[in-house]
Amino acid sequence: MTQDEDSALRDIRVLDIAGEIGLYCTKLLADLGADVIQVESPCGHPARGIGPFYHDEIDLEKSLYFFNLTTNKKSITLDLDSSDGRDLFRRLVPTADVVVESFPPGHLDRLGLGYAGLAQIRSDIVLTSITGFGQWGPHSRYKASDIVGLAMSGVMWLAGEAEDPPNRFYGNQGYISASIQAAAGTLMALYHRDVTGEGQQVDVSMQEALSMAQETSIQSWDLANLPRRRIGAARIPGMTVPGIGPYECRDGYVFGYLGTPGGAPWTEMLRWMADEGKAEDLTEEPYLSFIQDLGLPLLSQALTDPPTMQRIAPFLAHIENVLKRFLASKLKVDAYEEAQERRILIGIVSTPKDLVEDKQLRHRRYFQDLYHPELDETLRYPGPPARLSQTPWRLRRRPPLIGEHNAEVYGEIGLGAEEMADLKGAGVI
Amino acid sequence: MAAPPPLTGIRVADFSWFGAGPICSQALATFGAEVVRIESETRIDGLRSVAPFPPDKNSYNVSGWFNNYNAGKLSFSLNLNLPKGKEIAYRLVRWADIFITNFTPRVVERWGLTYDELARVKPDIVAAYAPMQGMDGPRRDYLGFGAVLCPIAGFNHLTGFSHREPVGLGTNYPDYVVNAGHTLIAILAALRHRHKTGQGQRIELAQIESSVSALGGALLDYTVNGRVEERQGNRVPYASPHGAFPCLPVERPLWPGEERPTDEVAPGDDRWCAIAVLNDEEWQALCTAMGDPDWCRDEKFSTLLGRKQHEDELEQRIGEWTKDKSAPEVMEILQAAGVPAGAIQTAQDVLENDPHLKARGYYVYLDHPEAGRTAYDGPAFRLSKTPGYLRSPAPCLGEHTYYVCKEILGMDDEEIADLVAEQVLY
Repeated sequence: MTQDEDSALRDIRVLDIAGEIGLYCTKLLADLGADVIQVESPCGHPARGIGPFYHDEIDLEKSLYFFNLTTNKKSITLDLDSSDGRDLFRRLVPTADVVVESFPPGHLDRLGLGYAGLAQIRSDIVLTSITGFGQWGPHSRYKASDIVGLAMSGVMWLAGEAEDPPNRFYGNQGYISASIQAAAGTLMALYHRDVTGEGQQVDVSMQEALSMAQETSIQSWDLANLPRRRIGAARIPGMTVPGIGPYECRDGYVFGYLGTPGGAPWTEMLRWMADEGKAEDLTEEPYLSFIQDLGLPLLSQALTDPPTMQRIAPFLAHIENVLKRFLASKLKVDAYEEAQERRILIGIVSTPKDLVEDKQLRHRRYFQDLYHPELDETLRYPGPPARLSQTPWRLRRRPPLIGEHNAEVYGEIGLGAEEMADLKGAGVI
Repeated sequence: MAAPPPLTGIRVADFSWFGAGPICSQALATFGAEVVRIESETRIDGLRSVAPFPPDKNSYNVSGWFNNYNAGKLSFSLNLNLPKGKEIAYRLVRWADIFITNFTPRVVERWGLTYDELARVKPDIVAAYAPMQGMDGPRRDYLGFGAVLCPIAGFNHLTGFSHREPVGLGTNYPDYVVNAGHTLIAILAALRHRHKTGQGQRIELAQIESSVSALGGALLDYTVNGRVEERQGNRVPYASPHGAFPCLPVERPLWPGEERPTDEVAPGDDRWCAIAVLNDEEWQALCTAMGDPDWCRDEKFSTLLGRKQHEDELEQRIGEWTKDKSAPEVMEILQAAGVPAGAIQTAQDVLENDPHLKARGYYVYLDHPEAGRTAYDGPAFRLSKTPGYLRSPAPCLGEHTYYVCKEILGMDDEEIADLVAEQVLY
């Protein structure tokens, strides 16, 4: 056992019998110090089959997707579909504080392993259930992969260009969001257990977990009957707003949000262009006066007043073109840094490479290295989402091989070598 | 017979604003904590002044955006630029168990709210700092709100169709779920540690780092394989078909003064259903549900590899089947057949038409003295024995200033009157 003395969840054991939707939940708990046991079917967790793979070698022990979501965890194999497997699982439950699962609602109850069944074995158990639509309600048995959660939550409707199909968020964000809410719910339940000694069930629906990300969509409809929809690069429907949206640079893109509160006004952008001799005719009338007025009040007025819109549209289009030419002459990181020096709200559109090379992330040593002896290579992983001064987030252990901790974990509950060999022979572990 | 909520008795001094901070403290309030939002009339939370507003109303107290993130809290209006304001801030910190801010490091320092300063006042405080780029480093003072964070953290580059610009996700997603959620997780872990040991601590969440943590696979693909992943639209390498398919349009209500567009399908009237076929069994189920058309029997579609190779044709054929059915109809036919499918819902669908969310009571309607009866997001997770609930609508600006002075800080009326006269309180 290599539990860290100074980790926040050092006394917590988690049994993860969930599918892909729960992997990030238990990673968050493991990275905070919990002893997380990934319970895999004897042929390995299904997410091990998902790429990208280490050097593109398709191999259940080389999925980078799975690696990323299983740092600090242990792995045992266990066939929950067999009654011997379930008996074995029942023997593990007394050692656990938390069970995380994602079966269709009712499935575990039928096997006697739902909340009531688990609480009989360990009365203060926390059972965290993560599914597409939660434990009850008319859609609770609907099949939900990531994109189905994004669709039903209302967030996908808002993403992409108007003329394209709505866009899926990259990176299984439905699963990630469900997992984040599940980890928070689990910790809330654990805190309650610490105080009162009482366990309970945490019900997480991917659809509900994502809902907050609709931003103002629900309230726009509820308060004003204004339907929000996806508008892609336009940012404001039917209007070109110079400085808002993606701009192409020599080597990629930056993204602007000019003229909004918090950043410098458009006049500062004009000064920057003029300082470099690239403001073209924008420093002359009528553009100069127009840019001095260019901000949210004018744009809001134009939105509700077609004549104003008609009057200003050609100005906006011209300014947009000059701005495009200006930013197109720059490297994206230069545009980012120079804009920020002037308090202009422009950010780099980072690629994964940009992030790994990012000055700020490097300075803060965000990325962290883990040695994989089987690959004889040190892999670089994303680091802590948050840093806790007394109970540090830490990568202590590389992701587990399939069933790597069978002997250790089953040994703890008194399984002898012979019994283990029998169970292995029967395909239970 | 519900037990008291888990955070009963926990007190939060909430110095955060905009999205992620207030969403996190709202979750704390929902599960029983007493949350005081410290607001300033000279630096009003930007969300108080932006739409959506109820018809013909426009004050700092009626923004649907602000209100949705601040239910169940008290609003305390304090001038932190005056020395006496700072002093009162420290008194609130002494009262509190948890402190939250997402101000930039510069502002945190100017107002004397660094961890060392707080710990002098309240040694076991759990203090969470959530600035954009972190509390140190060459870019710590960079500007940023969600709209810029999303591209900086890598979401824009990776999301959308490859022939389009990196327009992003349509909302500032990392703020609302990822950063608010990671902050909440860190605070609860720290609270648990404090309960066990009596020790407080400093939490630092750089929004950029928290957001990047949600994109791990693409990062490892670069650090290990040297590959820079590109936008792939709605497709994924391990499932096919996987995407959004066109359904029968629905005429949307027009904006005030807007004329109905003349397009064949006007923007906003389009409707879609997401379909994800993750294995061959689901593929067979999809074929059966579509009535086993001849093209389905074509050998080239029988394996994932084949479907990936002929994905354009595959999507077009499925679209022919979906396009004259409503999105909920496609979803129900496919779900009945065991194929993961979901209507791509609009706000109206989500709020008014989704029978499931309605049955679960996810959206909660609260009566606000100025904004009226409006919808709020409910708890993002449910606890069977100690369910969270929104106890009150969002506070009006400074609504509880007197209450906080009197009941929490124990001031008498004379002291309060002096502070108002000195413009320390508004």
